[in-house]
Amino acid sequence: MNAIPCLTIEDVANLDGVLGDFLQKAEAELTVVIDRGGNVISQFGDMTVMDVTIIAALAAGSFAATKELARRIGEIEFNALYHQGNGNHIFMNSVDDDTIMITVFGKRTTVGLVRFYSASAAQSVGALLKALSTGGHGFSFDASDITATPVFADQ
Amino acid sequence: MSIINYASREIQFKIVYYGPALCGKTTNLGYIHKRINPENRGDLVSLATAADRTLFFDFLPLNAVVIKGFVTKFQLYTVPGQVIYNATRQLVLRSVDGIIFVADSQWEKMEENVESFKNLEDNLAKQNISIDEIPYVVQYNKRDLENVAPVNYLEYVLNNRKKRVQSFEVVSSTGQNVFASLNAVSQILLHKFSKQSDVPKTAPAPVAIPMEPPAVKPAGVAR
Repeated sequence: MNAIPCLTIEDVANLDGVLGDFLQKAEAELTVVIDRGGNVISQFGDMTVMDVTIIAALAAGSFAATKELARRIGEIEFNALYHQGNGNHIFMNSVDDDTIMITVFGKRTTVGLVRFYSASAAQSVGALLKALSTGGHGFSFDASDITATPVFADQ
Repeated sequence: MSIINYASREIQFKIVYYGPALCGKTTNLGYIHKRINPENRGDLVSLATAADRTLFFDFLPLNAVVIKGFVTKFQLYTVPGQVIYNATRQLVLRSVDGIIFVADSQWEKMEENVESFKNLEDNLAKQNISIDEIPYVVQYNKRDLENVAPVNYLEYVLNNRKKRVQSFEVVSSTGQNVFASLNAVSQILLHKFSKQSDVPKTAPAPVAIPMEPPAVKPAGVAR
């Protein structure tokens, strides 16, 4: 197992810059960058509307579930998915082999606008994450930092 | 894949409950969701069929201990146990950090237990992970039933690798040892990651809190 990937304050600021710019241009509500295992890497926008952790887990599942569908028509996977609601919608696009970008938007904008700006945003996010994985900055803790008390308590 | 975020001061880990169909994986998560402090958990999301069989996965996000000012966040998943859903199990196992293997203690489920453990090894191998590399514990569930195999037999069948792991006699419906097994795998996971430190320490380690005796004695101990 490799050392734990770290997002420094600077990394998060850089990602926030890209995601904030994207949200403003696309007029969307919220965008979340996740890994394909469902972990949240970064998020920007109105986080009060939903539980981002759950959105991430379900979106990763949704993205992976359609992979087999894509294979049936000769694709490796779908690069983007769109779930249309009555007022709120979700657009998901692939950033790279390990990462997905999720955008939640409402009536202020259109799927076309979100799709258009998300392509360049995903490229920028991908470049930042690539630099991150080779950056070499790490976080360390040792066994004495972990208390012996139970991690979770049965109440 | 765990991630450390300096801005939100969080560390994320993913734990997967794995095991044969109807062994009690979802019941484990249901009990944890019911009993843990609501401030430390999110919603329990269950993607199940009308007959309450897990179709995709169950998911429960938890906040846990603070290490050097960082909140640890654990994401608990279950896999669908039914044999036909192997593609879904592979998906849920992606980026896994720790595993709780839930075995059904009933004699007639032994073959399914063994098949499920083999399936776990195979699916991890597809991610280039060996079961020996990943923190995991074993639950022997449904110990309240009459037709259960003795623990030493279950140990022989399911926990007989070169490196034996901690195992627990569990009754997930009443919660017996549900938290003990979750705490065990969480502690192993945290210690494993503490050993992965690859940079010089910049701050002295805080004084450890004195040890308390474990609330429940596990059935087996890692060697």
